[in-house]
Amino acid sequence: MSVLDPAVALPLGIHLNFFTDTGFWTGVGVLAGIYALIALGLQLNVGFTGMTNFGAAGFMAVGAYSMAILVLKVGLSFWLSLPLAMLVAIGFGLLVGLPSLRLRADYFAIATLAMAETVRIIAQNADSLTGGNQGLFCAEGGAGACYNDAWTGVSTTIEGWLQDLGWVNPESLVPLLLVVWVFVLGATLGLRFIQSSPWGRVLRAVREDEDAAEALGKHTLVHKLQSLAISAAIGAFAGFFLALDLATIHPEDFEPLVTFFAFGVLVLGGLASYWGVLIGAVLFWVIIEGTRFIGLGLDETQIAALRFFLVGVTLILLMVFRPQGMFGKREEMVLGE
Amino acid sequence: MEARSLTLGVEESPWRRLRDAADRRPALAALIVLGAVLLVMIVAKGVHDVAQSSVNGLSLGAIYALGAIGLTLVYGILKLVNFAHGDFLTFGAYMAYLVNVTWGLPLVIAIPFAMATTAALGVAFEVVLWRPMRNRHAGLLQLLLTSIGLALVIRSVVQYFWSTDIRLLDVDTTTTVNFLGLLIGRMQLIVIGIGFVVIIAIGLMLRRTLLGKRMRALADDLDLAETAGVDTSRVIIYTWVFAGALAGLAGVLDASVTSLSPNFGFDLLLPIFAAVILGGIGDAYGSLAGGLLLGIVTEWSTLYIDSKWKIAVGFVALIAALIVRPQGIFGKAKAI
Amino acid sequence: MNDRGASGARNGNAILEAEDVLKRFGGIRAVDGATLAVNAGSITALIGPNGAGKTTFFNVITGFYASDGGRARFQGEAILGSPPHSIARLGMVRTFQITKALARMPVIDNMMLAAPAQPGERLTNVIFRPGAVRRREAEVREQALELLEVFDLSKLADQYAGTLSGGQRKLLELARALMTRPRLLLLDEPMAGINPVLGRRLLDHMKRLRADEGVSILFIEHDMEVVMNHSDRVIVMAEGRVIADGEPHEVRNDQAVIDAYLGSGTVSEETL
Repeated sequence: MSVLDPAVALPLGIHLNFFTDTGFWTGVGVLAGIYALIALGLQLNVGFTGMTNFGAAGFMAVGAYSMAILVLKVGLSFWLSLPLAMLVAIGFGLLVGLPSLRLRADYFAIATLAMAETVRIIAQNADSLTGGNQGLFCAEGGAGACYNDAWTGVSTTIEGWLQDLGWVNPESLVPLLLVVWVFVLGATLGLRFIQSSPWGRVLRAVREDEDAAEALGKHTLVHKLQSLAISAAIGAFAGFFLALDLATIHPEDFEPLVTFFAFGVLVLGGLASYWGVLIGAVLFWVIIEGTRFIGLGLDETQIAALRFFLVGVTLILLMVFRPQGMFGKREEMVLGE
Repeated sequence: MEARSLTLGVEESPWRRLRDAADRRPALAALIVLGAVLLVMIVAKGVHDVAQSSVNGLSLGAIYALGAIGLTLVYGILKLVNFAHGDFLTFGAYMAYLVNVTWGLPLVIAIPFAMATTAALGVAFEVVLWRPMRNRHAGLLQLLLTSIGLALVIRSVVQYFWSTDIRLLDVDTTTTVNFLGLLIGRMQLIVIGIGFVVIIAIGLMLRRTLLGKRMRALADDLDLAETAGVDTSRVIIYTWVFAGALAGLAGVLDASVTSLSPNFGFDLLLPIFAAVILGGIGDAYGSLAGGLLLGIVTEWSTLYIDSKWKIAVGFVALIAALIVRPQGIFGKAKAI
Repeated sequence: MNDRGASGARNGNAILEAEDVLKRFGGIRAVDGATLAVNAGSITALIGPNGAGKTTFFNVITGFYASDGGRARFQGEAILGSPPHSIARLGMVRTFQITKALARMPVIDNMMLAAPAQPGERLTNVIFRPGAVRRREAEVREQALELLEVFDLSKLADQYAGTLSGGQRKLLELARALMTRPRLLLLDEPMAGINPVLGRRLLDHMKRLRADEGVSILFIEHDMEVVMNHSDRVIVMAEGRVIADGEPHEVRNDQAVIDAYLGSGTVSEETL
């Protein structure tokens, strides 16, 4: 038996097809890209504005559900629904922010978490609007229009381009992978650009000491709201991509766990580093999804448990030994606290 | 030059006077409002329905109160709300499951076991994690993320060994008791009984014993207590013992009237936060009152809205409390 | 208790006027009807025993606390109830008793932050008018470096402000406040905790500001040498009220002032 035979197990029970299952890794890449997007928004809020925003899953849910509802129930085109859904998410972000921005860090975290959970409960219970626990996928009857029809068209087009370029048989998720990461790169460059501006400087001042910034004539509330709004918009797109990836929208996909995982990505990459987020996201998901290949006879729920355990332990170890993450600066952690 | 006693713009309107009075006697004000609501509801829905849902409210409230008091005591030590607290409830419930179902012993043994093991867990984390981080002057964000990591770790261990299947404790949930014309589940009555006995015991302990006073002092202001010469490291350990034991108890009680799953403790966390904040953070009695209040209001809400929305009541209460009065009903207006 | 605040603005040239300002915390009146005026172009000291309400007064008139009563005008405009950033933009800028250096930002960023009229602080300008943003940034950077030079901090420009010593932070706080091009500076204990040499330098800066640019200064101070020998007027607060207001030598001999200090046991008669 050669070592490439799937039945042969390496130490820890990892099988070698770990490295060769391209369909699987494409999926991981998409997830990493989606979480990179969420964490980019978080970086703006937490790393640069000092707002511990725990409502990320809520932004995603509002974005995804709004888009699907606009397409399926209101009958708008996919391309029109996207920007509208993004506006709804921004509106939600402002709604969340306005009353709670003056709260201190852990209270703000709780408030934003509670609002995200409220969105999820509404999604779970308002059956007629959101499909309840069944989720949203296609219009009533199952055979009607699906919200990702427009996407399927785009996806096929991209596949065509790839084949023209010589890629013989791309996995079905490759177009999504490409689009997501183009988005991630665009968002990273965009965020870095605005971060280096005087506007970004005010944000950092808000992070350091809001009273000092106010005393120098800066209207801190407006800046914080803008930070939240941008994060909500990016989160909405993360929601859209998740909806396309899973081909369904379920309340369970927007549990607090998503936000916690995003924070894991954030601190792994390091606070106050946008590029760090990208690397953190890829590393995070490679490790997490890599657990699937551990063939120690564990069942599904146990592997899922292992995953949570890994994330939890990583968070703790990072916070204890290297709070600045991979690419953050030590001074940034030490001087601030 | 004569002193001018001009106090423009500070006319005492009757509304303002009412608010000031409520500020001074918040407990009384809350009771009056509660009583008024109760009366309105009895008129609207009838005594029977209101009484039934009030009983449910007391059992839920007892669970919230037991969870909340641990959280608020620990807040004084950590200086932040512990996101892992909900998973202490989960852990306690599963420890009870181990004793009650797996080993087949009665609940009377399962409960102390659950309380003891959860207390031990709390102390272990304090020694291994929280104390070293405090000594290193870890910041708020660091501690916050650590508590989340801890929550995930506890939950994952539970899930690893007991999977995501919904489990039930080996208790009699079908027998009902006829109490003043109401049909109340026997188990629910036991929960209310145990809950209230413990709450009263805790309340007395906090007021009468030296340890209790010290715990309350710590919860209110750790640094001040330290300068006052209190041996904080010992009191901190005791506080974790209490917080852990009460959380474990709350978990078992909840599990005995509903069910167990790895997530259930975390699901209770937000309402417990609400109870803590309503009662005023760091205020032990406040959290007891806040928990009971929240439990009752949550159950009363089912008289008006579909019970699937019940959980949302806790969230809405939390958000409202944070926005309108973050120092809680009973708290002083501290800067939040 | 006599109330002599109104006599201060005799020549009608007040840049800041406060009338019966009231601030309550629960049952305590931290500021209990304070009335005072600061003349334009003056260096005015605000003194008083601990707990007199001086910092609270600063907090109220700069918008950090809501007032419970009274009126205040800066350059003729009513300001009570306005948010802090609006008041700062009008030209009344304060420093804090405990310096608020923005620790995780370089010194130069601390300075550039403070400059007024920066188009780049609006997101729309960052995206649609990058040229204008860049030009103003360059201007601001130059001004910041010049000012740092004046305070002898230019070598520290790229260091994180959190690495500065206490005295350097005080200077940075003052320099930063100056970047805002204020008309009235409210300094909360600018001399506290810094050595006499540095203190002298600060005083010289303050006087130069007044002479060269007509900046008015109201400062809270406990150092009586500075107060008596370097200020134009002295306002004395005790128990939330203004109890004396006049030239240093007038105030020094005022019985009410002596009583207030002796009564609170903070300063002996000789010191006054």
